[in-house]
Amino acid sequence: MLEATIDASLLKDSIESLSVLVDEARVHISPEGIGVKAVDPANVAMVSFELQADAFDEYQAEESEIGLDLTRVLDILGVAEKTDKVRMKLEEDSRKLSISIGGISYTLTLLDPSTIRAEPRIPQLELPAEIVVNGKGFSRTIKAAEKISDHMSMGVEGETFFLEAEGDTDRMRQEMPRDELISITPGPARSLFSLDYLSDIAKPASKSNEVTLQIGNDFPIKINFEIAGGRGKVGYLLAPRIESE
Amino acid sequence: MGVDIGDILEKRQVGFDDLAHRIVAIDGYNTLYQFLSIIRQRDGTPLKDSKDNITSHLSGILYRMANLFEAGIKPVFVFDGKPPDFKADTISQRKKSRAEARTKWDEAKEKGLSEEAYKYAQASSKVDARIVEDSMQLLDFMGIPCVQAPSEGEAQAAYMVNKGDADYSASQDYDSLLFGAPRVVRNLTITGKRKLPGKNVYIDVEPESIDLMQNIKLLDIDRQQLIGIALCVGTDYNKGLEKVGPKTALKLIKQHGSIHKVLEHRGEAIDELDAKIDFFLNPPVTDAYELKWKSPQKEKIVDFLCKQHDFSEERVLKAVDRLEKAGKQRSQQTLDQWF
Repeated sequence: MLEATIDASLLKDSIESLSVLVDEARVHISPEGIGVKAVDPANVAMVSFELQADAFDEYQAEESEIGLDLTRVLDILGVAEKTDKVRMKLEEDSRKLSISIGGISYTLTLLDPSTIRAEPRIPQLELPAEIVVNGKGFSRTIKAAEKISDHMSMGVEGETFFLEAEGDTDRMRQEMPRDELISITPGPARSLFSLDYLSDIAKPASKSNEVTLQIGNDFPIKINFEIAGGRGKVGYLLAPRIESE
Repeated sequence: MGVDIGDILEKRQVGFDDLAHRIVAIDGYNTLYQFLSIIRQRDGTPLKDSKDNITSHLSGILYRMANLFEAGIKPVFVFDGKPPDFKADTISQRKKSRAEARTKWDEAKEKGLSEEAYKYAQASSKVDARIVEDSMQLLDFMGIPCVQAPSEGEAQAAYMVNKGDADYSASQDYDSLLFGAPRVVRNLTITGKRKLPGKNVYIDVEPESIDLMQNIKLLDIDRQQLIGIALCVGTDYNKGLEKVGPKTALKLIKQHGSIHKVLEHRGEAIDELDAKIDFFLNPPVTDAYELKWKSPQKEKIVDFLCKQHDFSEERVLKAVDRLEKAGKQRSQQTLDQWF
């Protein structure tokens, strides 16, 4: 059971934070809120998403799990204005979701959750360095790197966070010392990542003022940020590329 | 070519999937020879450019390596260096057979015997210095590492697998096993439809792997005895005993214990026997190599194959595109590696 009302823009941002990696997701619904854990088909990146009950204008739910076609939901949310409210109601048998936006009512057939890839296990990683940056700036650097390469390394030298990309002919480097960062916990770190994935992840992250990056040496990166004014959070884990190749 | 002990070995069919992320040390000469002999037109004429240069090997390298790359396999080519002195007989014999085949090919073509022509055309294949040079050039442009062996390439490949720098030695011959390669994969570069020699029949060829330790255990012999069996059957360094195939050789070696005793019993001899056994056990090898797979250099490949050797630009670009995509996937790690 679920009956909830939420800002259209918040719902859209939430779905987008998932749809950058997967087309379908198992959504876990509980009285405390909703949560999703999903891994992309290539097993390179995963997302864990939580939105608390108090991020909704109204929220009433019982434990259940639904299978959502994210692409279709996003398409439907396209008709909503920024200030619209979205009302969602899950039918008794959990097979259909009704979505009402400004007087328009959709009845959406849900996917059988068992047909969607199971929730991934989350690897326990000790990542030595942690940097907090502004989401918009991070997204800008990724766009800059994409102009010359398809991969970018991130690392820490002393108390400076650096982002570096090297293409066939050109190089790009950005250095951010402690005073240009929101915070830094220095540690030995340098890893290389696919810009295809980074730019997908940076899209939702760009709306957040504080994005926490945790990195190591040739290790996956954790990218975490809050949504809905702290009443929700999104975390990504992205596997590195190995530089010597 | 090589030692023919396949009949007594246990082989396991492997798919390309099983070899994903594996480093495979490919016997360069053997593979180029396969390309030259298989990649031909109907009357046996190899692929050629407008300047009459043979290009079958280049076609083989580009398209077959693209297949391997797509499967996530990491190939490294190992080329022969200076052959041991006792290989001289085999080398001059091969030269003679090639010359004979060449004459017979021309004769068959004149008589319009296409099957005969194809057979002799294949047998006349020769990996010459220019073919090796061209191949190394193309491999370099494709970002595939090459290793120059001090002596036999199969010995170097075996060394690299033993050292853990490669996972498999790849060749059509079994010699790598004699040099101690723990794992050998056959048919890797010729997977697909292949014409049976001398017949107008095509069969599906799948890669197969041979595990040295497992086979030695199954045959209940040691490596020296395996080398003994090979010497009985005939290797690149000796002719082999009269009317002795692998099964008889296995029996003889088991019965008498060693190649020395077998020869003693039969009143026969193999020239420089101890030197040859020692060569299989301790061949010259090198650590002077670097295994690094680089991104393919699109423009150089296109220039080399299309401008200099008249390949179709459209087809080459497609293959390069496959190489590039595969290259990216190869370096991308997955999350399950961190559990």
